[in-house]
Amino acid sequence: MARPHIEPFCDRDTHFKPMRLLGFGTGMHYKMLSMDVDTGACSMTVQFDGGYKRSPGFSWSEYELIVIEGELKVGDRVCRKGHYFYVPAGYAMPEISSDQGCLLLYMYNTGEPSHEEATTHHASTQTQLYHDVDSYMDLSWAMGNVAKPSVATGCMIKLLNYNPNSFAMTFLYCMTPNFYQDNISYHDCAEESYHLWGTSWMMQFGDVPTGGYFWRPAYINHGAFASEYGCIALGRVDSKLFNHFHYNPWSTPVENADRSEARLLARDPLLYHWAFSQDHNHPHSPKDFELTMPRRANEEGHDTEHKSDGHRHDHWHGHHHHDEESPHTHDHSHDHSHDHDHQH
Amino acid sequence: MTFKNLYIEHERSSEAEDWVKEEIAEQEARFAEIEASMEALAPTREKWYQEFFDRIKTNGFNLDGDDKMPIPDADLPIKTADRKDQVVWKYGVDSDDTPRNGQEA
Ligand SMILES: [Fe+2]
Repeated sequence: MARPHIEPFCDRDTHFKPMRLLGFGTGMHYKMLSMDVDTGACSMTVQFDGGYKRSPGFSWSEYELIVIEGELKVGDRVCRKGHYFYVPAGYAMPEISSDQGCLLLYMYNTGEPSHEEATTHHASTQTQLYHDVDSYMDLSWAMGNVAKPSVATGCMIKLLNYNPNSFAMTFLYCMTPNFYQDNISYHDCAEESYHLWGTSWMMQFGDVPTGGYFWRPAYINHGAFASEYGCIALGRVDSKLFNHFHYNPWSTPVENADRSEARLLARDPLLYHWAFSQDHNHPHSPKDFELTMPRRANEEGHDTEHKSDGHRHDHWHGHHHHDEESPHTHDHSHDHSHDHDHQH
Repeated sequence: MTFKNLYIEHERSSEAEDWVKEEIAEQEARFAEIEASMEALAPTREKWYQEFFDRIKTNGFNLDGDDKMPIPDADLPIKTADRKDQVVWKYGVDSDDTPRNGQEA
């Protein structure tokens, strides 16, 4: 059942609890923001006491992390507020510590928090996905129109992470003072936000202050939107973000999802009919041939004769190479021209 | 919800199992509080809805970015008697209490 709808919530209304899971050591405290009831994946506000140290190691779950206040030391590197990390599952981080203490937002995406002492990555880690950035100092604000139709112009973003398969995103967003957007929105994906600073308002839930948080499943109405003095927040979506805007505050998630389906039919009719046709009903999920097609590396008895060596050039349609003097007389059934430089 | 990313299979310790169970129980209690507080907000929200309708009739409804279009009064939706003002939906379309086709559960 994934994570329930937690909105609105403010972490200032609860106390920190000591983290007692093995591997995290002493001096780590947390406030739970939301948890996936199937997997234990969760988002937490975390406080490290001054002098906190954690040994090098990895987590079985992928996680993301941003420094809210104070300084976090990662190995010898001092990371200040606004520093963001994307850490793949199994990726071994160096020792982390905090001399004076710090406040962090931790997001475990695929399972419960865990820490295995290690100085090398787990064998199945996708190490190339790791990245970190000082998002306050080293990224510029961009227009919020990553999705069309888009938010009003006073809402800007800094993209922190993007998943090219699911289009899931992690981003900072801000609203300028006096921001407002008069529509009701819903998405085909879950949405999460943590207010790093400032207050914004939504017509369903009222004010979201500093430390304010929501995890909102797909198809739930939110907005109109406003922020009197501005705010900065970390936001996430778990798949492609599309803004479905409307002005009916009483529509239900099922009606919203039905509307998305109707709009999918209007926008991608061929795909819609393919996906939903009766005689083409995938009991599990559709196949992506790129993941299953036979490839040369797996081929027995390699057939070199009919494969290009990158120099030989036999077009199947009987391309006759002509010299400079002769007129171009060969009859292609189609009329494209080959202007590339032949080196035979 | 899923980020569809890598999770490395491992045995969850009984200690972690207990911790997750405890957190889920606390989350259930928190959800109930949120649901009650959002029901209590309904009268205020009703006022906010009417102010929203007033603004989109005059200043306009945000179609895309800052492009706005005034909505004629006749086009504004009405809340039928069988509707309640619900803004918290535990698991979205998978909630037990989610009305199908707009009807009360
Ligand atoms: Fe949204």
